[in-house]
Amino acid sequence: MRDEVVSPPGLSPEAWKASEYVRQADIVVGIPSYNNGRTIAHVVRAVHVGLAKYFPQLTAVIVNSDGGSTDRTREAVLSAHIDDPHLLLLSTPTTAAHRLSFPYHGIPGKGSAFRLVFEIAARLDARVCAVVDADLRSISPEWVDQLIRPILFAQYDLVTPFYQRHKYDGTITNNIVYPLTRSLYGVSVRQPIGGEFGLSNRLFRRFLERHDWETDVARYGIDIWMTTIAIAEGFRVCQSFLGAKLHDPKDPGASLSDMLKQVVGSVFALMLEYEDIWKARVSSTPTELFGFQFEVGVEPIPVRVDRMAGAFRQGYRDLEEIWPLALRPSTFAAMRALATSPDDSPLFFPDPLWVDVIFDFACAFKRQPVERGNLLSALAPLYLGRVASAVNEMEKLSAPEVETAIERLCVLFETAKPGLIAQWDDSQHEVQPATSHAVLAEKVGCHD
Amino acid sequence: MTETFGRVMGSVLERLQEQVVALVPPTLAGAVILLVAYLLATSSRWLIIRVFKGLALDKFLRQSGLAFIIDPSGHLRAARAAAGAAYWGFVIAGILTALSVFNTQLTTQIVQGVIFLLPNLVLAGAILLAGTWLSQYLARSALVWAVNEGIPYPRRLAALVRVLLMFVAVVVAADQLNFARSVFLAAFIMIGGGLILTVSLAAGLGASRGFGRFLAGRQDHSNPVTPEHRNDDPPASLWSHI
Repeated sequence: MRDEVVSPPGLSPEAWKASEYVRQADIVVGIPSYNNGRTIAHVVRAVHVGLAKYFPQLTAVIVNSDGGSTDRTREAVLSAHIDDPHLLLLSTPTTAAHRLSFPYHGIPGKGSAFRLVFEIAARLDARVCAVVDADLRSISPEWVDQLIRPILFAQYDLVTPFYQRHKYDGTITNNIVYPLTRSLYGVSVRQPIGGEFGLSNRLFRRFLERHDWETDVARYGIDIWMTTIAIAEGFRVCQSFLGAKLHDPKDPGASLSDMLKQVVGSVFALMLEYEDIWKARVSSTPTELFGFQFEVGVEPIPVRVDRMAGAFRQGYRDLEEIWPLALRPSTFAAMRALATSPDDSPLFFPDPLWVDVIFDFACAFKRQPVERGNLLSALAPLYLGRVASAVNEMEKLSAPEVETAIERLCVLFETAKPGLIAQWDDSQHEVQPATSHAVLAEKVGCHD
Repeated sequence: MTETFGRVMGSVLERLQEQVVALVPPTLAGAVILLVAYLLATSSRWLIIRVFKGLALDKFLRQSGLAFIIDPSGHLRAARAAAGAAYWGFVIAGILTALSVFNTQLTTQIVQGVIFLLPNLVLAGAILLAGTWLSQYLARSALVWAVNEGIPYPRRLAALVRVLLMFVAVVVAADQLNFARSVFLAAFIMIGGGLILTVSLAAGLGASRGFGRFLAGRQDHSNPVTPEHRNDDPPASLWSHI
């Protein structure tokens, strides 16, 4: 009689059998991929050397969870040369980590890839699971140590990355996810959607228990979903300094406005779920940061300010019927003034107005005056306008000055939170503004 | 002459009197019925507004988006909608009852016509409402998609989607009511052909995107990363900062 393999959702029979073969591992490092053939071998080598160098006494498995690459990504993982002793600078021989590569099933996306990694980690009863992106060019063996050590030896549950990035890089993080998450949950995690994480056994098991894997979580929403759950449910969270993050440009064929939609949609959806938690939290506390910090060179990010500003102004003209349903009249009036400013003048999107836009959209997500998918998509031109403005403002600022500006934005979000709660609780469409732009700007010393 | 005139006038007045005698009681009865119906309608509206005020139905209407379809200002409240429906239900029932009092061929035809048509009218109304909702939803989807993808004339595209879907809803509703079937059917076939063409174009555009990704993947694979290649990367997209 043939043995039936009953694998958990997200774990294919092939992966199930392979994990049966490996049986147990202390560490699982997951690498989600899709057409990363030219970079993934470097990532695998770095992870392998990191595991051998920093955790030689522990058994480890590297799992590549692939989304159906057509550029031989999986072959690159399995054939990456890692037997060069110069890589390790160790005189004693070390055990090589197992390498597994499987295609994941279900909704195509990073979240589904993570799910497969977590299922394998749970199956192997790993003490810690780390995930790293497959398109990294700046990953070094030290990253593995930085992501895993706080969990193994300091009992943290989630290690988030702390990078140095170009001032124009990571705009969703800087303008939405970081300030919003910090103001809502009262924990300052600088890169909540960084892409590289270390997770404890109890945390990834908690993720696997959840039933929202088939939502935006299956795609780009996974990073903020993990960070938010960890923070909201009281898991111990810390950050590790990883240096610079250099990676390949995002897939040019992918619709990156969908990425914005999935990330912001996940934040808003979790706001509904954790309403009682975020409403009760005031101000924010810093999160422990591990690792020796140093200055690194970062690659400049090319941006097209004129096109972004144009997309914002065009968005105002075309989405005139949708924005007023999401924005309060006061916010929409300020937006109109901004969008109808002369095309040749640089766009300056004031911080307090941006705070109101995000809070209005969050409340609209709850209220649903427009179907949620359309609502989130309608945010994209506003976001581009905000980014164009941020680039204009940051053009002559140094990296520390940019951080100061982001910090000021975070404080604005925190200051405006009582207004958000009032608006959130109010079932009426028209409520008092979450912030009076002028008053708020005065409070935090921001003059737009 | 005078005698003939008097006879004619007498018969006219007699007929008039007969008609007045025949019509006044039902008119009075009809007026009373209308008055009662109006009072019932007003009181039911008043009662419903107070009884249903603040119920979860408002939340449902808002969250389903129905509130914004029926009342784009977003101020629709379930209690008011229910009260309005009850009000007009009583008023229409009162009018029909008042008409039936006359018991003539014409009024009987009107009342019967309305009664027989009522289920179809309700169904046609539901079809139109569903069509309105669907057209609004898909038109907005098309609008935001076109804006984010930089497709020219997104508002026109959205308007086209809205008009097409509303037209389909009207055709189905008209069919339900047996109204100008052949005219609507012919128009529907023409529009349907246009739709198929549009869908084919959309599928073609989507396929070209997939093909572009495939080619990009092949190019990436054949060109290993080097510093020179990094410098040769295509110009920044609108989203390179994300």
